[in-house]
Amino acid sequence: MTEQLAAALAAEEAAIYAYGVIGVHLEAKDEVSRARSADLEHRARRDALVDRIDELKASAAPQPAAYRLPFEVTDRDSALKLAVHVEDGVAQAWRALLAVTEGDERVDALSHLTDSAVRATRWRRIAEVTPLTMSFPGRPG
Amino acid sequence: MLTTSRRFLLGALAGSAALAGCGILDREPEPAPQPDALQPLLDEALTLAASYDRAIVAQPDLAARLTPLAEDHRAHATELARVIGATLPSAGPSASAPTAGDTTATLRKAEQAAQKTAVAACKAAPPERAALAGSIAACRATHAEALR
Repeated sequence: MTEQLAAALAAEEAAIYAYGVIGVHLEAKDEVSRARSADLEHRARRDALVDRIDELKASAAPQPAAYRLPFEVTDRDSALKLAVHVEDGVAQAWRALLAVTEGDERVDALSHLTDSAVRATRWRRIAEVTPLTMSFPGRPG
Repeated sequence: MLTTSRRFLLGALAGSAALAGCGILDREPEPAPQPDALQPLLDEALTLAASYDRAIVAQPDLAARLTPLAEDHRAHATELARVIGATLPSAGPSASAPTAGDTTATLRKAEQAAQKTAVAACKAAPPERAALAGSIAACRATHAEALR
């Protein structure tokens, strides 16, 4: 499970970094506030993951010194595209935890997977990207 | 032919022995197969897909919005049937007459209820099925969001 927890931590860290960049390119009040609340949510999950990994006395995978964005973010369109991209990535990381957890811990992982999938849907609607949904959120590929 | 009838006869004898409680062959009657734990998810996926089909027939201007959601449910049904080892009823949009009942509001409610079923199925699932049930739960939640 520690491997999947470390992957989830890396995905959350990447999301926090991405939302910092995304926020710069958004202007509409509701879009900025959505990005801010997503950022806070990812920070809370990051903190919870750090605690959990610490609890298991497992060392997290070494963090990359610098994050690299999957593509250049220069305007609102590319910022919204990045928001969808990071939420999809976070959903994948939490989905991988479902098979290695049980009970409440699995329900938590599912609620994070669901939350990221719903956020991705909202960003797609704001970006006017269709379809708004994926058949299997979090499934790689 | 002979073999078949002999086997049948033996089976019948064993059955009556068990019924009589003689226990000579000590054979338990075959238990009725338990429905698969994921069967309710499969049933819901098919029901939801059909609801979207009816809503699209009733309100064709919603087709662009609702068709991808119906397709998600069909993809779930296909994957669930594969995992369960069930055969899907022959596909094709349901020919049932459109009813006034399927509005985006009722569809949204149905998605939220179906999400709960999938969350419970994910929680109870063995590890190898947890991710599938989880993705279906998350997808149903995104549908409720898309119908806002």
